[in-house]
Amino acid sequence: MPRCCCKDKAKSIIVKGAAWINQANYGTTEKKILGSYNNIDDLYVKLKQEKVFLFPVKNFARFDFVSKMTCCLVALALGDANIAYQKDCKQNIGIIGTNSQGAVEANREYFKDYVVNGRKSSRANLFIYTLATSPLAEAAIHFKLHGPLFYESSFDISFSRLLQDAKGILRGSDMQNILVVENDQEKSACFVLSVDESVKGVSCG
Amino acid sequence: MRPVIVDYDMVTAFGRGVNLCWENLLSGQTAIKRLSRFNTQNFQSQSAAAIEGLKVDTDESLVMQMLKPLLENRVITQDSFLVLATTTGEIEILERALLNNQGDYKKSNPNYLLDKVKDLIGVKSAVTISAACSSANTALGFAGSLISSGRQDCVLVVACDSISEFVFSGFSSLMALDKTGARPFDENRAGLSIGEAAGFILLMSAERAKKEKRNSLSELIGWGLSNDANHMTGPIRDGGGLALAIEAAVMRAEIQKERIGSICAHGTGTLYNDSMEMKAFKSVFENSLPTYSIKGATGHTMGAAGLIEAIIAIESLKEKVVPPTVGLRDVDDEAKGWVSNKTQKFDKDIVLSVNAGFGGINAAVLLQG
Repeated sequence: MPRCCCKDKAKSIIVKGAAWINQANYGTTEKKILGSYNNIDDLYVKLKQEKVFLFPVKNFARFDFVSKMTCCLVALALGDANIAYQKDCKQNIGIIGTNSQGAVEANREYFKDYVVNGRKSSRANLFIYTLATSPLAEAAIHFKLHGPLFYESSFDISFSRLLQDAKGILRGSDMQNILVVENDQEKSACFVLSVDESVKGVSCG
Repeated sequence: MRPVIVDYDMVTAFGRGVNLCWENLLSGQTAIKRLSRFNTQNFQSQSAAAIEGLKVDTDESLVMQMLKPLLENRVITQDSFLVLATTTGEIEILERALLNNQGDYKKSNPNYLLDKVKDLIGVKSAVTISAACSSANTALGFAGSLISSGRQDCVLVVACDSISEFVFSGFSSLMALDKTGARPFDENRAGLSIGEAAGFILLMSAERAKKEKRNSLSELIGWGLSNDANHMTGPIRDGGGLALAIEAAVMRAEIQKERIGSICAHGTGTLYNDSMEMKAFKSVFENSLPTYSIKGATGHTMGAAGLIEAIIAIESLKEKVVPPTVGLRDVDDEAKGWVSNKTQKFDKDIVLSVNAGFGGINAAVLLQG
């Protein structure tokens, strides 16, 4: 019979790294990176030059804005947590996210384009971003994260609630790390939660 | 704490009620037919599995019209935690805003729908879970985690999605629709058929269910979530992502795989999904299991699919029989010995139900009778 290594409520969970991006600046908490940028495409180029992105993101130019920001955010957060990633090696890391609007703006862009074009055909490349999980999925694809992925929201959801849920997922699985993302257009943040007790970090209870 | 299921109900294109859907599935009927809700002439398909009687020109959204009869007057205590699974929710609000300049498109944010469902049933705490077409199974896993960790002892999972021009045009643009109706696991399958549905599953800790003298209809013994980390719209060809989710569910349940009696597959009818699933099943299980898809009958109900399928899986546990895969004529070589267009019997007490969605999101649940 398989033995479950999960369901361990005693697992100690720490914040191993974190990153944030607002409309003009970005930063990380452990490595104390602080920088500014003009637009999201500039930020991507800058992070590539600084080797925060270890290899280019495929089709980055085609991503919607939130997906671009989410990828930059995750690159910063993984770097802050000293978690390396490779093109051909998947890692058992989960990613859950929230924001205030879901995919409403992406939905509007897709359907408006369809209506403007006479309601005869629509653009698949816009349709794929009409899911609230699409930006998280773009990040999972690039950074090869094969753990749980979902979006969670309510009008009164707090980031601490999301952290609690992420901790619950970590404790109930054999994963070592999970990313918790808030990806609003104006500001975004990503925390890397880890069960690795040997890693120096801030306890989140 | 063990999560047990104490109540459920649903509405599909077959109509209101679990029995109606179950009986239609057993007799090989399909609810997929020509769609008249909006003009489909420019799309790849003109068919879908739509619920009759829903009104499109009212203030009440399609999903709320589905949910109200299911949830009104239900015995659901105020301290229950609501988990709403949906992909597009009340998307017609956005459609109307852009087509008729009527209303605010931002009200299509699923959080507004969440508040309406909260008010309808009178609970105080709730979240929306969205995970593409794996939303409902993910929500069930999430609910299982909340109960097993002791954070909640009563969770209501509600799932819903409707057929809209928004979604129909999108799947058509992806060339994902079968003109003739979905044929899951058929060698000539050519895509999916869209459907709509709503339903709920009420879960409690075994302790609370006992205290409240609620019958356990089934136990949610395992769940597993994973991501392909491969492609936005296509599954990883070798089924490795889904296999991970199934293995995670088995690990959590702490069972031997041999105790699993049947599989309710995602079975959309697309070339790549069905092939991927068969590879995943064969990599996890040494011997073939009675496997079926209901999507040739109910259509692909998107964010509601996992919940509807979990309920059908529980019904199959009761009778120890899986329904025929409707739409299937010539079984694909990969599915031979697993999937059939006839009913198949099994004699185990655990069943597996899986979903796979855009973004490579996989979810698996294990239910025990």
